Amino acid sequence: MAAQLGGKVSCTLGEVKNRADFIVYWGSNPADCHPRHLSRYTIAQKGRFLPRGRKDRTVVVVDVRETKTSNPADVFLQIRPGKDFEVLTTLRALVKGQPVNPQLVAETGVTVEQLQDLVDRMKRARFGVMFFGMGLTMTRGKHMNSMAILTLATEMNAFTKFVAMPMRGHGNVTGADVVMRWTTSYPFAINFSRGYPRYNPGEFSTVDLLVRGDVDAALVLGADPGATMPMPAINRLAGIPTIVLDPKVTHTSRLARVHITTATTGISAPGTSYRMDEVPLTLRPPLRSPYPTDEEVVRRIHQAVARKPDWLTAHSGTSPIAQA
Amino acid sequence: MGTKRFILNAARTAKQGQHINIGKEYPEYQAIVNTLTMNPADMKSLGISSGATVRVRTEHGETTFQCEEGKVPEGMLFVPYGPPTCRLMGGETDGTGMPTSRGWEVDVEPVDTNPTS
Repeated sequence: MAAQLGGKVSCTLGEVKNRADFIVYWGSNPADCHPRHLSRYTIAQKGRFLPRGRKDRTVVVVDVRETKTSNPADVFLQIRPGKDFEVLTTLRALVKGQPVNPQLVAETGVTVEQLQDLVDRMKRARFGVMFFGMGLTMTRGKHMNSMAILTLATEMNAFTKFVAMPMRGHGNVTGADVVMRWTTSYPFAINFSRGYPRYNPGEFSTVDLLVRGDVDAALVLGADPGATMPMPAINRLAGIPTIVLDPKVTHTSRLARVHITTATTGISAPGTSYRMDEVPLTLRPPLRSPYPTDEEVVRRIHQAVARKPDWLTAHSGTSPIAQA
Repeated sequence: MGTKRFILNAARTAKQGQHINIGKEYPEYQAIVNTLTMNPADMKSLGISSGATVRVRTEHGETTFQCEEGKVPEGMLFVPYGPPTCRLMGGETDGTGMPTSRGWEVDVEPVDTNPTS
């Protein structure tokens, strides 16, 4: 949603490794949540144009608390909770040389001098990248916070090369977005009930549909909403026929009517996984599994459904309202 | 024993990530998602020590956590995502499809202040 509002200037993690001499982690703690990110792409790596590795890079962390990621950073800005949007828009003003009110800035937990220093460093960089995490995207402001950081990255390109990238979590969550985008034009919250895709976050998104009670069956594929979604959505999943495809017993599988055990993708099932920079990677499983893959199960369900007459044919001559 | 207002942040940790893949039915995972981290000064003001049980309440629900001391700012709590945080989360997404999962205002009340006694 943020990319639709502000556009998105991005790159691959290979470019980050070889070129990024200025790295910002905003509301993100990769030392805990993406442990290989720092060692493979940013702090620890020597790049083609950064032969001295860490010494050639400046690392900035913006967060509401000290973390394992902020400890090795060159600059740590500890801002107050819920003030990300204000800090980002102040940075955008300073980048353009606009005046800002020091008293209002002080309410964010940092000073104008600290932010001006950050802007000066950003303008001196040859290739800057801003990684942003759930500390920015899941707090008050949500997609507007993401829009602000994406816009800041875009506007920095008037001075030097700058990109922004979300720190996506969970296995292949980027893949779900990317594949839905190139098949339907929309990343999520898509309704196919009219035979063509319609998009409306807040209306057709999973949590909203469940909380409103708009759905009367659910297929959960490689996710555990029973341990992550709000209680009203979980209660709805427990009350309707829910089918779960998962290699393990999860909170969702326990509340589901049907749990089909599947092979673990990447370990005992092949497939494609999208990295957070949207680069697709082929998975070559080292082990075999007695269980079917997710793809096989979905294909078989689809074939079984296709053999049934469609709803209109089955109920021809009767009123849909009477049937309901 | 009084009630105090905090800002609760649900977060992720490396240990939590490991145990998600080992299995959520094991006691190690349960212990991780049922433990919140609090500033020592806040623990003192609530009259509790590490290992104490607190009841956390939002406008949407309530649950209990074990408390541990940690390097977090005063007035803030951190807890790994899991079934207990689901009980505190509201279903409203503000038209974004994503419920707010961080920065909740919560009321914290001690239940068992000194587990060793």
